[in-house]
Amino acid sequence: MGRWELGATWIVVLAGALGAWSVAAATLPVPDYFLPPPSAVLTAAADLVAKGILPVYVAESLRRILLAGLLGLLVGVPAGLGLGLSRRVADFFYPLLNFFQSVSGIAWLPLMLVWFGFGERTILVAVNYTVLFPVIFNALLGVRSVPRIYVSALRTLGASRWRIVRDVLIPGALPSIATGMRLGLAFGWRALIAAEMLVGANGLGFMIFNAQNFHLTARIMLGMAIIGLLWLLLDYFVLRPLEQATFARWGLVQR
Amino acid sequence: MTRAAAAARGVSPFAVLVVAWALLTRAGVVPALFLPPPGDVARTAWEMLGDGSLWINIGASLGRVLIGVVVSLPLAVGLGVAVGLNRRLAHVVEPIVGFFNALSGIAWLPLAITWFGLGWTSVTFIMFNTIFFLVFFNTLVGVRTVPKLFENAVLTLGGSRRHVIFQVLIPGALPSIVTGIRMSIGFGWRAVIAAEMIATSTGLGFLIYNAANFHQTDAILVGILTIGILWLATDRLVLQPLERRTIERWGLVSTTP
Amino acid sequence: MIEVPRRTLAFLLVAAGLWGAGEAFVRLTAPGRIDAALAPALDREALVNIAVTLPFAPEDFHIRLFQGYGVVSGVQGTTVLINRVRADDVWRIARHYWVRRIAPQ
Repeated sequence: MGRWELGATWIVVLAGALGAWSVAAATLPVPDYFLPPPSAVLTAAADLVAKGILPVYVAESLRRILLAGLLGLLVGVPAGLGLGLSRRVADFFYPLLNFFQSVSGIAWLPLMLVWFGFGERTILVAVNYTVLFPVIFNALLGVRSVPRIYVSALRTLGASRWRIVRDVLIPGALPSIATGMRLGLAFGWRALIAAEMLVGANGLGFMIFNAQNFHLTARIMLGMAIIGLLWLLLDYFVLRPLEQATFARWGLVQR
Repeated sequence: MTRAAAAARGVSPFAVLVVAWALLTRAGVVPALFLPPPGDVARTAWEMLGDGSLWINIGASLGRVLIGVVVSLPLAVGLGVAVGLNRRLAHVVEPIVGFFNALSGIAWLPLAITWFGLGWTSVTFIMFNTIFFLVFFNTLVGVRTVPKLFENAVLTLGGSRRHVIFQVLIPGALPSIVTGIRMSIGFGWRAVIAAEMIATSTGLGFLIYNAANFHQTDAILVGILTIGILWLATDRLVLQPLERRTIERWGLVSTTP
Repeated sequence: MIEVPRRTLAFLLVAAGLWGAGEAFVRLTAPGRIDAALAPALDREALVNIAVTLPFAPEDFHIRLFQGYGVVSGVQGTTVLINRVRADDVWRIARHYWVRRIAPQ
């Protein structure tokens, strides 16, 4: 299907969906706040931007997830690499990391509430935890997955431990690291929204949760659309291309 | 290595962790309110198992997961195959489903509460849409990326459309579908826990959030441990074998889109 | 180590550009929001009492925001009265694009 044809089809589908939505909003026998028409969502968008609310909430959520991503990159990757260097250390930590990764940061939130109360620190701990563990876990797996024959080859040629790490283990682990970052941020973004609903006083999660209390359903839908859009942008333009680039350059065909 | 030795290998890191935990609390570094000793947590766990409170909440959470899976999985796979058959339709639908996939999960909760009120309906709805969109998407991509060569081969050999669907497309898409199932249950489980904290009064999520309100840190830790163990068990005993068996059988390299 | 995809670079550049443009716009227009009558007081005094006029009725969000800058003493229509605001905080308020005017009380 040609690009123009595809684009035209999408426009038709979009128009049809919006039309059906508007009709449903006008005719369904439900209270007004159940299903606001698309126009209400656009009005809400204009309203929230004009009032400076939406940019602030978006910036807050982005700030938190980017900080978590940074921590994952600067702390999680070295930690995972370090733990993966020795077979015995890796085998010891593997079950632990697997377990802690399974308990999402959100499950730790109640404990964080007891420790830090309802504040920014609680949100940050929960989100950073959620991003960190998949990164460490996958970095560890990445190092372990580099075929030992490459390490032996370099050692035979007289390379130092550091050279081996730098030239074989880190590049070999890069695909796993990229996957770990992508997975961690995917879990983390969703955990962030949940944490902002429970604890926050700002952010997109707070916005849609708060809107529900006041039956401002158009704001809820707007918030949802933006949450989805932001993740889509991040994944499509940054995370997935980087992951594919690492596979293209360093990927070994894994069974 | 014997199975006993392998089991010991898997458990020993946790044993070390528990010992470290016990030493930490014994040393009095952290107040008991913030981190109760393992003994207290074990005792609370025993009580909760005994009086049924833990079982009820486990049942509630697992029940929601199960209903979500049972209702949305066949629908998602069915729709994915049906749409995937038509290349043009698949091309149009894929980004739309991709968008809803990016949106799925806890972000739906306020809308679900608006429509269904507080309670298990909203929580199950979250599970439903998390699984539905991801599996739909993966099925779609999986069917679409089955090489046309295989389809044509079956048709050349005189196979009907049904043969193409059931003997080429579905098996070919299976690795992608199963990966989608595994990932979506992972996402869904987390979303259910979060949703239970906000929107309902049963389930493990509610258990730990409620316990936080009463500063019952030992109950919180029991809940957290239960959540971790349940997910590990599900993943290890059900999902991973499923994934391994389908990929081994129809061993195409699956890529998570 | 890897070839950074063009798509990623383009996206990051555009995002940075948009953010930069936004910041520049806000900083350039900030002085225009501060009433002429207020400007001298900003240089002289450490704390000022201001009346912030918005083009809309303030929501909870705005009240809470202003409470971070000083003591919100009242709301008159679309104007919020804030007491004991530091001079540099007045500039911070001026850098919000949705503020119409900041005047002395």
